[in-house]
Amino acid sequence: MAAPLPNVTLASPHPPPLPSLINARRLRTQRLGRALRLWVPVGVLILILAICFLLPLVVTLPSATSGNIIVNNEPPFSPGHILGTDVQGVDIFSQLVYGGQVAFEVGISVTVIGIVIGGTLGVIAAYFGGWVDAVISRVFDILIAFPALVLALVIAEGLGPTEMHVIWALAVFGIPAVGRVARGATLTIRGLPFMTAARLAGTRRWRIIARHVVPNIFPSIVTFSLLGLGIIIILEGALDFLGYGIQRPKPSWGNMISNGQQILSVQPEYVLIPSIALLITVAALNMLGDALRERWGTQ
Amino acid sequence: MTVPEPSATPAGSEPRPAGPAKPATGEPLLSVRDLVQEFTVRERGGGKVGVVQAVSGVSFDIMPGETLGIVGETGSGKSTLARAILQAPRPKSGSVTFRGTELTKLRGGRLLQARRHMQFVFQDPFGSLDPKWKVRSIVAEPLVAYHTGNGTARRKRVNELLDLVGMDPARYAKRHPRELSGGQAQRVAIARAVALEPSLLICDEAVSSLDVLIQAQVLNLFERLRAELGLSYLFIAHDLALVKQVSDRVAVMYLGKLCETGPGEAVYREPLHPYTRALLDSIPSTEPGAARASSVIEGEPPSPINPPSGCRFRTRCPRATDLCAEEEPKPRELAAGHAVACHFPLTEPPPAESAESTSAENGTARAAAPDGSETTSKAVR
Amino acid sequence: MTDALLVVDDLRITFAVGGREVRAVDGINFTVSPGATLAIIGESGSGKTVSCRAIMGLLPTGTAIGGSARLHGTELLGLSDAELRRHRGSDLAMVFQDPARSLNPTMRIGLQITEAITTHRKVSKREAQAQAIELLRLVRMPAAERRFHEYPHQLSGGMRQRVMIAMALACRPKLLIADEATTALDVTTQAQIMELLLDLQQELDMALIMISHDLGLAASYADEVIVMYAGKIVEQAPAAGLFGAGGAVRMRYTRALLDAIPHLERSAHTPLPVVGGRPPDPTALPRGCSFAPRCGYAEDDCLAKVPALAEHAPGHSWACWHPCENGGAA
Repeated sequence: MAAPLPNVTLASPHPPPLPSLINARRLRTQRLGRALRLWVPVGVLILILAICFLLPLVVTLPSATSGNIIVNNEPPFSPGHILGTDVQGVDIFSQLVYGGQVAFEVGISVTVIGIVIGGTLGVIAAYFGGWVDAVISRVFDILIAFPALVLALVIAEGLGPTEMHVIWALAVFGIPAVGRVARGATLTIRGLPFMTAARLAGTRRWRIIARHVVPNIFPSIVTFSLLGLGIIIILEGALDFLGYGIQRPKPSWGNMISNGQQILSVQPEYVLIPSIALLITVAALNMLGDALRERWGTQ
Repeated sequence: MTVPEPSATPAGSEPRPAGPAKPATGEPLLSVRDLVQEFTVRERGGGKVGVVQAVSGVSFDIMPGETLGIVGETGSGKSTLARAILQAPRPKSGSVTFRGTELTKLRGGRLLQARRHMQFVFQDPFGSLDPKWKVRSIVAEPLVAYHTGNGTARRKRVNELLDLVGMDPARYAKRHPRELSGGQAQRVAIARAVALEPSLLICDEAVSSLDVLIQAQVLNLFERLRAELGLSYLFIAHDLALVKQVSDRVAVMYLGKLCETGPGEAVYREPLHPYTRALLDSIPSTEPGAARASSVIEGEPPSPINPPSGCRFRTRCPRATDLCAEEEPKPRELAAGHAVACHFPLTEPPPAESAESTSAENGTARAAAPDGSETTSKAVR
Repeated sequence: MTDALLVVDDLRITFAVGGREVRAVDGINFTVSPGATLAIIGESGSGKTVSCRAIMGLLPTGTAIGGSARLHGTELLGLSDAELRRHRGSDLAMVFQDPARSLNPTMRIGLQITEAITTHRKVSKREAQAQAIELLRLVRMPAAERRFHEYPHQLSGGMRQRVMIAMALACRPKLLIADEATTALDVTTQAQIMELLLDLQQELDMALIMISHDLGLAASYADEVIVMYAGKIVEQAPAAGLFGAGGAVRMRYTRALLDAIPHLERSAHTPLPVVGGRPPDPTALPRGCSFAPRCGYAEDDCLAKVPALAEHAPGHSWACWHPCENGGAA
């Protein structure tokens, strides 16, 4: 090494700062984008739910099941019928509102059943392992192996086309779907040291499941369920479209589409309007699910 | 599962110890005999490949107030040993007597009661804390599980515990683990572990993932708790210097068996087992140019599925002979409280047919010269 | 003075994390001579890994890097990917801490080594294979031909690290950076690997930068030691100048590190001299010396002014207003 110079300062204690990496404006844009991606779908969904469930309580809507043949095929923005009437003279907007009720009733019921039954089974399977897991997993596998729609069709056909039966038919698909997610998430948690620590602290098993497992798998279940809700609504629509679900004159988005199919080329709005409603709802659910996944960092 | 008898205590009073009374001095606090723990190793399809005996007949005692350190490298089975003592999962065979009670025979509620006085600190400070719980719930969990006191008493106790481990309750009680540093998270884990006033604390690599300065803080905390609460420790680590620093007695583990057990100073100054010697020599010292190349051990640890016959260390031992392959050495006590499992412990000259003696003859001496004069040219710059 | 191999001059690295600026490295200088061994010691957050990754060009885009790092006169910072590829492997190479994560688990190790060879040299497949086996022998891999065809999960930690070293050496780099390369290994394996690295240095006339938190490792194996704290170099000296008899540790942080390590010579249950607190928040570094808030000897000037790193004794620099008097042996 070279001969040392006494007291040579080798590094300035205060080097000049580098150009700043933080672009404040870009940061604000990022934050804004993230907030929008969460709150816009929330707003849309609240609006849709309000229209479907609250509006009829406040405003008297024309009947959604019976109509006056005289005023059939009215175009949108006709007096008394905001979106017009269909072939039988039934008000389209009312059908949309009550159809929306059906969509959400079925969707939320199936999701809740899925979480309660499927989630519980999944957690039990993963936590206790062994033959319990083997049995439950095989049941899930069998149910999932059937194409959802075919399975729902068969069940709905067998039970009869009412809303309740549609719910149970779709639940057969929803339960294993949520169940597997719950099982996977619980398996991930089970290996972690804090679970062993809880056992060593003396906590009883049921309490471990309730207070340790459930809060930690909650984000995964919620994000999955939101996406699943969209799928269930679509499936419900498909069932109705095919004629196996809600039957006319009771309206649902699916059977509205089916109904309007025949005059699609002439008056496309009968198909377009419920389709757009479906699209917006499912898109909002998906966006919300993605935004939550982004926020919570789950897969 | 039988419901454990409630040991609810009136508010504010100290929790009563459940189970049999503390054994009189002279009796070991923990007594482990011939402990065996196995895993089946499966290949991907599920077919059985073999059985790994992670712990193969380990025996030792811990007296009340004593710290026993177990040092071993990867594959030695030391962590499995710790879990087996806790019965989580249960060992395949052997006995674990804690405070006079045989743990392997207990089930459910009675095991819970007996195990109350034995607690565990994990290696990963964050992994051992539920990320969704607040610090005060985490520390209170054992109190809740054993129905100790009511809400007010528990809150008070949690604050005491946090103070004990050097964390200000006002600032930390309502935080989540993600808001803590590694050292702080480990302190919370320790606070939880001592909540029920255990007699024995098992620490499995409890400081290995912490930075050096934080590690020193936590080690000092262990010492303070030892003095204030009269705790005994089973301290498991791979760092021999660390283990010796905190322990009264040290046990060296290799591939499921204990090679050497003895007072820390004795094991360090006069190791009896060649593996202990190899461990000591491998530790980089802060003396530059020290005789560090003296005994770099050759070879890789053998697979635990198929351990060598006889003495398990023989494949890497410079002193191994045919006897070592045929007969497994049993532990024997050569000095006061100092036992070794070796046919040719280091107090004796190397056996005639061993690799050490032949290589010494050939002059390719990689074994330690007694006067430590083996240095490589690297040391001199 | 021999021509320096690597000259790092006023290296500064800043990240943006969650809207705040993190000054990971705050103006460091050092040189590495050919064939020499430098140890960079620090705890997590000291900036030791980040500085070496900057030299290798491994930092994510969007990191602000200032200063210079010149290898044989060629500036390494700010190179394009193509230029970096030319230097990596043939001039400088890096070995990382966790071999399990650095090796591709689905590729046989022999293939991974030959890939490292063919990236830099135009050789036939058979030639590359022969060279790869030669490399495995060079890193003292037992049964090299057999191991060539094995997968990473069939090897132990020590063996995997040998594979990593073999890959790094494929094209005979002049500088090898080992980033906590032995931290995840057992102490006996660590000794083997360190011996291997030192022997390879002699055989290949290769310089080595070892990054570690282990002062014992630095003392035993390095020629020159740099201690970093909160992005700055706080002490720099030859190993003999710091450790052992005749060595003197000056900076308080280095002293604290040395004291905090468990020493075999100490008797059990001696309380360790403890430094409280935690490393500073990199987004909010203290005004004066970064270590002052935790230092037991801090005075007013320590908290007010940042001490400059200066060569107060021949070959030995430190940044401390009130250094240890007779630093004492380890």
